[in-house]
Amino acid sequence: MLLQDVKLVQIPKWNMKILLSFLLLFISSISFSQTKVTLSGYITDSKDGEAMMDVKVYIPSLKLGAMSNNYGFYSLTVAPGKYQVEFRSVTYGAEIKELDLTKSQVFSIELGSKTTDVNEVVVNLKKTENVTSTKMGQIELQMDQVKTLPAFMGEVDIIKTIQLLPGVSSVSEGGQGFYVRGGGPDQNLVLLDEGVVYNAAHLFGFFSVFNADAVKSVNLIKGGMPANFGGRMSSVLEVNMNEGNMKKLKVTGGIGAISSRLTLEGPLKKDKGSFIVSGRRTYIDILLKAAISDTSPFAGSSYFFYDFNAKLNYKLSAKDRIFLSGYYGKDVFNFSDNQGGFGANMPWGNGIAALRWNHLFSDKLFMNLTTTFSDYMFKFGSQQDEFRFELASGIRDVGAKVDFSYFPNPAHRIKWGADYKYHTFTPTSVTAQNDTTVFDTGAAQKLFSHEAAAYVLDEFDLNDQLRLNVGLRYSAFAHVGPFTRYVKGDGISTQDTTIQYNRGDLIKFYHGLEPRVSLRWLLPDNSSIKAGYAYNYQYVHLTSLSAVSLPTDIWFPTTDIAKPEKGWQGSVGYFRNFFNDKFESSVEVYYKGIKNLIEFKEGALPGDNVSDNTDNLLVFGEGWAYGIEFYFKKSVGRFTGWVGYTWAKTERRFPDINEGNIYPAKYDRRHDLSVVGTYKLNERWTFSASFIYATGNTLTLPSSWYVQEQNLLFNYGARNSTRMSPYHRLDLSATLYSKAYKTKTDPATGKEIEVKKKYRSNWSFSIYNVYNRMNPFFLYVDNDGDFLAGNFKLTVKQVSLFPIIPSATWNFEF
Amino acid sequence: MEFRILIRLFTLSFLAWNVVSCTKEVQIDIPGYKDQMVIDGSIETGQPAIVFLSKSNNVYSETNFQAYLDGFISGATVIISNGTETDTLSEICSDNLPPGTEEVAAAFFGIPVDQLVNLHLCAYVSFGMLGEVGKTYTLKVIHNGKEYNSTTQIAQATPLDSLYWKPEGSFTDRGFSWAKLSDPLSNNDAYCWQVKYIGMPNFKKTFNPFFNDKFFNGKTFDFAYENPMSFDDPNGDPNYRGYYKAGDTIVVKLSKIGKAEYNFFEKKYNQIYSGGNPFSTPTNVPTNIQGGALGVWVGYSPWFDTLVCQ
Repeated sequence: MLLQDVKLVQIPKWNMKILLSFLLLFISSISFSQTKVTLSGYITDSKDGEAMMDVKVYIPSLKLGAMSNNYGFYSLTVAPGKYQVEFRSVTYGAEIKELDLTKSQVFSIELGSKTTDVNEVVVNLKKTENVTSTKMGQIELQMDQVKTLPAFMGEVDIIKTIQLLPGVSSVSEGGQGFYVRGGGPDQNLVLLDEGVVYNAAHLFGFFSVFNADAVKSVNLIKGGMPANFGGRMSSVLEVNMNEGNMKKLKVTGGIGAISSRLTLEGPLKKDKGSFIVSGRRTYIDILLKAAISDTSPFAGSSYFFYDFNAKLNYKLSAKDRIFLSGYYGKDVFNFSDNQGGFGANMPWGNGIAALRWNHLFSDKLFMNLTTTFSDYMFKFGSQQDEFRFELASGIRDVGAKVDFSYFPNPAHRIKWGADYKYHTFTPTSVTAQNDTTVFDTGAAQKLFSHEAAAYVLDEFDLNDQLRLNVGLRYSAFAHVGPFTRYVKGDGISTQDTTIQYNRGDLIKFYHGLEPRVSLRWLLPDNSSIKAGYAYNYQYVHLTSLSAVSLPTDIWFPTTDIAKPEKGWQGSVGYFRNFFNDKFESSVEVYYKGIKNLIEFKEGALPGDNVSDNTDNLLVFGEGWAYGIEFYFKKSVGRFTGWVGYTWAKTERRFPDINEGNIYPAKYDRRHDLSVVGTYKLNERWTFSASFIYATGNTLTLPSSWYVQEQNLLFNYGARNSTRMSPYHRLDLSATLYSKAYKTKTDPATGKEIEVKKKYRSNWSFSIYNVYNRMNPFFLYVDNDGDFLAGNFKLTVKQVSLFPIIPSATWNFEF
Repeated sequence: MEFRILIRLFTLSFLAWNVVSCTKEVQIDIPGYKDQMVIDGSIETGQPAIVFLSKSNNVYSETNFQAYLDGFISGATVIISNGTETDTLSEICSDNLPPGTEEVAAAFFGIPVDQLVNLHLCAYVSFGMLGEVGKTYTLKVIHNGKEYNSTTQIAQATPLDSLYWKPEGSFTDRGFSWAKLSDPLSNNDAYCWQVKYIGMPNFKKTFNPFFNDKFFNGKTFDFAYENPMSFDDPNGDPNYRGYYKAGDTIVVKLSKIGKAEYNFFEKKYNQIYSGGNPFSTPTNVPTNIQGGALGVWVGYSPWFDTLVCQ
């Protein structure tokens, strides 16, 4: 039974040979007998005690270095001796320490007390990262810069910033869903402190669930996914929350056009543990209440969202630290039509919790153990006179994950680990009642499944030019009972029947190997060539009946009918820095092929999955995407920013859609250009601008009309055969900071001195859509007039959402 | 039908969106048009089969009344069979109607009698075969060398347990028609609700007249329907639209239809009421006709009752 789907593992033989060769090479190269010592420890920020990731620990005399991981841990094994060791960070520049490494030692350091030229170090780090690392298609956002970019309605938004990167495009105007290299929104693994975020949007997709005040770092992997990540076809968006200030109590907050937020952080015990709590809430409902009178038929209609982030961390010992993170966010939409006797309530939201334990087994072996809980639910309740109707859907995960990082020598960085999740899916649960009559809506459908994976990867240097990152991931998925399989008849010769599975029954098992390889070949002229290959399986799917992303979109697991999505991505890139490394650039080409993609059958309706299985309504196909991305970035100096351009093509082929013909995906975009710039005029003023241009989205419109029983009906043309006009928009922002220092008389000397203010604030002004471009949100065919009177007319109408929108937000901290 | 509430909510949101957003007419290329035969055929217990043939039109083509008239197809061969007998349907046109059928035809087309008799609207009628309960009817249409086929069935009708009227809300003399229905235990029972004032020549469909037993298979339940005739009078009091008034006498026709036919009508009304908004998917109405035609071939098994609203 367990081997029934072995045929799914279709890794080419040449692929496996190469992989095994690398594994042998890696085993032989890590075992060497020469005496070595290890320098290891944690790197933290002297300002608030937070762990600092991606700090380079470098010994210039040996030309050897290591990077700190997400928890600030580093390990560097070298020959015994006395060395100057540099600790280089983007935030603080370099700190140099003289260390006697005649024997292994643990050296933890707080950075920020002494600094060198930050710009110079940033250049050095960027050079290292952009040209010398094996990373392809990976971009880390600087939160300081994100906060100064133009913000829609004043809400700083991580996802909207990501949509400005090459290879990433937005679902629609203002939308939170994002497409990476031709993949769907569900093909992005969005993680908040390692907990899966199933719906990263508030307000039907216009705002992100990530409160920028609570976010420490954002890392997007859009290609060459390393083996420690999996479960999605396209990308990983890794969002890490702030840990909380270890040194002092700190309050930050902001008051914006539609919401306000407040964050409190501080030490639980100085330098041992800290906490952070952060909340945000909109006041659209209060504005609506003021706008709708009590006598209005729509009195009682409202909308609001809120979210809450919290995190605790504590150092149990020099080798142990625990983290507890939580997120809870909810949107609530109420609609009342008192005249029509109609009322509706629609709440939806995410809950995420993660408990992590960092343990240091030795100065070379680091472990992170995480238990996670993720929950996404959508509910809808309505009442029309005496008819009551309730619908719910959602997904809940309980899981655990362990990751080991091993640093045997500077040439090897090895990781291995395992991941397990127990999924509970509720695609649709419906109850309906008319007065005292309870309708038969079938039992609430729940689907249960186990998802597990194990991986190993090694990043190692074969020589000065060639660095390889070789990984192998094994993933498995089991759909288990209880479960009711509906087998539909045609109503004439065959009738509907069901197959019942009991708790724990294995309904279907899938598994597969996912090889991941990336390499970097360093060229002499401050440039490098990189290539990557990744094979992925995806066992959970998002199905949508709507042309736009909605909270009603249903997460659905792999079953005996719905097979796992599987596919590969290959990419090759040229990376080069210019002008003494102040500018970095890259050109990447990619190809992605995916099988077992999922869509609803043509004509499926939301109610069709009541007393039926959702997968009975699905059809399956394949897709592919290819493109070329150009990226040019300046990350130092008063003026920073980037230009990204993507040429891409994304197509789909489903036997049961579009008569089996190839059609463009709804997110197929030929051209995508983004230009982002930030200019720091002085300590008080910073200006930013962003401009985007994108080929219009595709959609399906009626190509013909006909009449049946005096009703005009439409027949739709080829799938996604119509393309909307191009999208372009310019946004501007200016941020005015309060003075950082105040003048004070020194009581000892009587002289006036400048002291840093405890309280600081800033005003952030934004203008969205500066030149008031009426960008298309969607098109529809409208009819007007009387058919029989002869004045009937069909026209195509374009709906645009957002005109020019100025906004202001006041932010503070003390 | 309950999911239509969800669709209604999204449609209301869509309409609200239209208020705050900007909408303008655009000219845009819509590829994919192809000329298709449209078959609109039905047969019911004790009645002849009636089949209308027309063709689809490009969405950018003229959509005036003449285009509608020009769309009707004459000269086709239309044949029905009940398994043992076959009948070739006769083509009759509005300008040459059999005496006494003018009013029925006018109501059917929604065109006044005096205008209809001057037009050339044609239908195909099975004068040699009437619908019978329990029989399966195949339809064959041959036109321009192409052949289209379909099958439908006239099932056993399901009677209403009772029919009643009651005042609605604060009204004392206005209300909906109510019915009690005991649905058979079999799956996929689907119904069409039609109504007329007593004495009217033709039945009229309500706004969403089709429903199936997905939510109440085998159950007995009460349900209400609005008065579709109340919307026909442009001078009628808008506050009373949808209601029957005390004293009205109506005839209800509850017809049983098949699964594929219900699928056609369900998607048809879904397209009519949600088409165009971004929360719906582009949904073609699924035909039960093979050969590349649009439309439906449906067998109705009606059950009649009379209600005096009091």
